[in-house]
Amino acid sequence: MRHVATQANASEPKPLTEPVLLILTSLADQPRHGYGLIKDIESLSGGRIRMSTGTLFGALRRLLADGWIERFQQEDTSRQKQAYRLTTVGRGQLQQELDRMKQLTRAGFARLRLGESI
Amino acid sequence: MKRAYEFLLRLYPRDYRAMFATEMSSAFEEASAERRGQGRGVYVRFVMAELMELTIGAGVEWIAKLSTDSSVRGRSLPDRLLMRPPGVSWSRHYTGALLNVPEEVSEAQERAELLVERMVHSISQHDFKGARLYSDEERQARGKLRSLREKYNIGD
Repeated sequence: MRHVATQANASEPKPLTEPVLLILTSLADQPRHGYGLIKDIESLSGGRIRMSTGTLFGALRRLLADGWIERFQQEDTSRQKQAYRLTTVGRGQLQQELDRMKQLTRAGFARLRLGESI
Repeated sequence: MKRAYEFLLRLYPRDYRAMFATEMSSAFEEASAERRGQGRGVYVRFVMAELMELTIGAGVEWIAKLSTDSSVRGRSLPDRLLMRPPGVSWSRHYTGALLNVPEEVSEAQERAELLVERMVHSISQHDFKGARLYSDEERQARGKLRSLREKYNIGD
């Protein structure tokens, strides 16, 4: 019998981890520095998520390596407060993830309604 | 507490530290100042979580470093300690990189290095006129770099 393996499409977007999704969302409207990101993520998640510096900068390093974000020198901040902003690739990845979540949310609500009507 | 944090930061790979250590310490300081004002219990929990995740993060970063080819990693995380320009002593460069020199200085340094590369390339192509041009530009770039180093009190 011939075994046919299914190959993952390289261009297919992979689901993002929660820290990455929150970082990208936080950077979507404006560049932010480390502590600014921590505060904004806390407010975005309604105080549920308080990201540690270790987790945040580890994720930032990976995002920089993937070219989803870039370092950005803000004129009014010191080098200790290096800012980060989304690249076009990062913006595209965030858009794809939000579309995927929207689709999933819609399907989830539709099934809930279906379950209630039975 | 900051001392404990900075001690644990030493567990991270050198290139990671050169890139993020100053920012991480600064973010930690701001976050701890805020948490300290929210009560002793909150502050202790915050510090424990930070130190624990910092230790785990160091392990994760070492795995990432060891499992990634240095040329690939260098594209996003250049090891500034390894990029010693000609004419700068090892100790001077090492101190500068660890101190996280200002962007303006590192840019001037990169420009001077680029001009040297171009000059060497021109010589290898027997383009001596071009090499002389790059040599003049490089001299000017070194002069600018020297004045920037003086401005920020780096090196010398």
